[in-house]
Amino acid sequence: MNILIVEDESRIAKRIERMTQAIFGHRLHSLTHINNLQEALLFIENHTLDLVLLDLNLNGDSGFDLLTTAVSKSFHTIVVSAYKDQAISAFEYGVLDFVPKPFSRDRLEQAFNRAVAKEKIATNVVKLLAVKKRHRIQLISVEEVLYIKGAGAYAELILTNGKKELHDKSLEKLEQLLSQTFERIHKSYLVKMSEVKEIVVQSGSKYFAELKNGERIPIGRTKYKDIKAKWY
Amino acid sequence: MKSFACFLLVVVMPLVTAWSQEATIFKEYQTVYKIGDQQEWASKEWDDRHWEKRMELAPDGQLFWSRTRIHILEAPESLKSYGLRLEVYGEYEVFWDGVLIGKNGNPGREAELPPEGELWITFNIPIELTNEGEHVMAIRLSNYYFPDHVGNYDLKIANYDALLTDQLIQNSWMNVFAGAFLIAAIYFLFLFLSNKKEYATLIFSVSCFLFFSLTMTHLFRTTVPIHYSLHVIRLEFISSLMLGISFLIPLYFSMQFPYPKWKLFLAVYTAILLYLFSFELHLNSYTILNMAFSLLVYSLGISIYGVYKKVKGALLVLLTLLLCVVIRHTVSFNISLFVGFILILLSMLYLLSLRIKEQRLAYENSLVQSTRLRLQLLKKNIQPHFLLNTLTSLIDWVEETPRKGVLFIEALAKEFDLFNQIEEQTLIPITQEIALCRTHLEIMEYRKEINYSWEEEGIDLSEKIPPAILHTLLENGITHSLPLADNSIKFKLVFESNSTYKSYAFLTFAAGVRPAANDREEGTGLKYIKARLTESYQTKWDFVSEPADHGWKNIIKIYS
Repeated sequence: MNILIVEDESRIAKRIERMTQAIFGHRLHSLTHINNLQEALLFIENHTLDLVLLDLNLNGDSGFDLLTTAVSKSFHTIVVSAYKDQAISAFEYGVLDFVPKPFSRDRLEQAFNRAVAKEKIATNVVKLLAVKKRHRIQLISVEEVLYIKGAGAYAELILTNGKKELHDKSLEKLEQLLSQTFERIHKSYLVKMSEVKEIVVQSGSKYFAELKNGERIPIGRTKYKDIKAKWY
Repeated sequence: MKSFACFLLVVVMPLVTAWSQEATIFKEYQTVYKIGDQQEWASKEWDDRHWEKRMELAPDGQLFWSRTRIHILEAPESLKSYGLRLEVYGEYEVFWDGVLIGKNGNPGREAELPPEGELWITFNIPIELTNEGEHVMAIRLSNYYFPDHVGNYDLKIANYDALLTDQLIQNSWMNVFAGAFLIAAIYFLFLFLSNKKEYATLIFSVSCFLFFSLTMTHLFRTTVPIHYSLHVIRLEFISSLMLGISFLIPLYFSMQFPYPKWKLFLAVYTAILLYLFSFELHLNSYTILNMAFSLLVYSLGISIYGVYKKVKGALLVLLTLLLCVVIRHTVSFNISLFVGFILILLSMLYLLSLRIKEQRLAYENSLVQSTRLRLQLLKKNIQPHFLLNTLTSLIDWVEETPRKGVLFIEALAKEFDLFNQIEEQTLIPITQEIALCRTHLEIMEYRKEINYSWEEEGIDLSEKIPPAILHTLLENGITHSLPLADNSIKFKLVFESNSTYKSYAFLTFAAGVRPAANDREEGTGLKYIKARLTESYQTKWDFVSEPADHGWKNIIKIYS
């Protein structure tokens, strides 16, 4: 695991570091602590990470600036903050978990487990997906997304207006975040179930989900039963 | 405003109507004069065609006669004889169609005898002499005291009883208003005495009193008999009152609707008033007319500017003044003068009530503001960012090094205690504020593990300062600074004072201090400081917060 801690309070950062080391043990590949926004942004651009632990208030800067960048990346973000009232908006941006201060080791471990075990978070509603453009980050409303297609380490968002956007997160990670409204119907497809009109069965046990706009998306053989049981 | 307009209508209508219902029952022709004394000149048939049409001077109290032909248009009803009211300077005998109908003093013997007779007097005309048609009023008189005031200054024929009672009815109206304005004058004088900064209240009070005096002086002639020799004193008194009112009303409006260079304009206006006052004092009604005209024109100008600047109440004043102009052209000068003043004073009262309301609202706002500041101060210690971060660090200290954890808790307890002590106050000793800052640094040292240091220079220990404003600067300093290479940040408080101001310089020595442009907390912090300074020093303060070579610099100046 490569983990980054962004926290401006030295004592708290040390606490997180110590606990992280204890929890991950030898699985931890690297652990970095940065205490300001600018350096953190730079670090994120230039290093491969698996997890970022982020404070929402850094030396008076709003951590949401960093959050927008962080959630557009391939790694998961966990917010560790005293501002509980910002938890909902943080989840809407697509963070994996929100650990309120003061926190115990158990609470931190629970958050880490979500990341490691690829646990689906069904309680939280992600409303925005941050997509990295050339010089900026664009926030796309989840409502505009029809389905998501896996493309190697990336994912392709297919929008209601026909446009396609590339997201840095893998299909697995997006599945974790979007599990409430989206379903993995195929190893390469994550579909918003409210957009599915019907399931079409073709000869040779080929299954398709037909969307309201007429598009057909294949359903994995192994997934078919689960989907049928869950949605119909 | 609507209710005020209704009120005006209720007040003004009866006044105007009471004064305007006068049917003419006679016609007065040219008065002619002749020096000398012949009893025949009283007779109706005397040929006066060669008499003089004007007489400039009747010197040395010598006897002369005046003859006025009068056409009675309507004979009186039975038992309701006509009366004749005169305003004539001098002592005289009056003949109606050759019949002596009254005597006012001792014509021709004024120098030897004491003054006798009145300036305004009403005679009864025998009913048999007032049939429809032409009549002659002849006056045998001498004018010892004002030989240049010759003529019938006022002549009125009407029902004898009505002549006597109408005046009283009119007076009762005038008395009601005079009384009202006297009470207003006293009330607003007391109001001023309780708050001596409110000059508008004083000006209004004095204006009311002058108007009351003007009314009483005007009424004086009908309640107290005056010899014509004393009349000028009364006129001069009226002119002086008029001068005062004509000065005060525009002054009041100038204060309510301030315009550029108003003191200069007012000075010019005052010079004009004084010129009018000194010029031709004896032609009394012209003096008053001119002053009233100047007053109206100037006030109209001020109120038009007020309306243009959208000052509250200016429109009503403008409308009131325009109403005065209309009234001036519909009723006699005297009536329009009094009605006009009543209207103007009422509009002034309305403005005053507006200002009083504004002051009350401002006061209530300041109370709310103070409460808000107190709450903000209280919140400083329990806001999540401070409290929860502190607690998180504290847990860690307790878990790792319990002994240091205890010291941390003690520092925290001390800060809470200090906050408790200052929470209710608007100014606290500087020593307390410094203690608060030092404790806060101690806490932050445990949290951030940065070596914070505190220095002071030139502190006057007896000084007072609004609570937690340095503390707020310190918080901002901690939040927005990164430590120097040796992991330290220094804060320094420098006090300077001279005869014009006291200043606190709060300096941060750190690396990478930045203002957070759109930061919510920084915004509220600076707002808090400014609100506290305003609360204690109104506008007499200055606050600068800017980057410096060594980090950041805040300067609070308090002017004495």
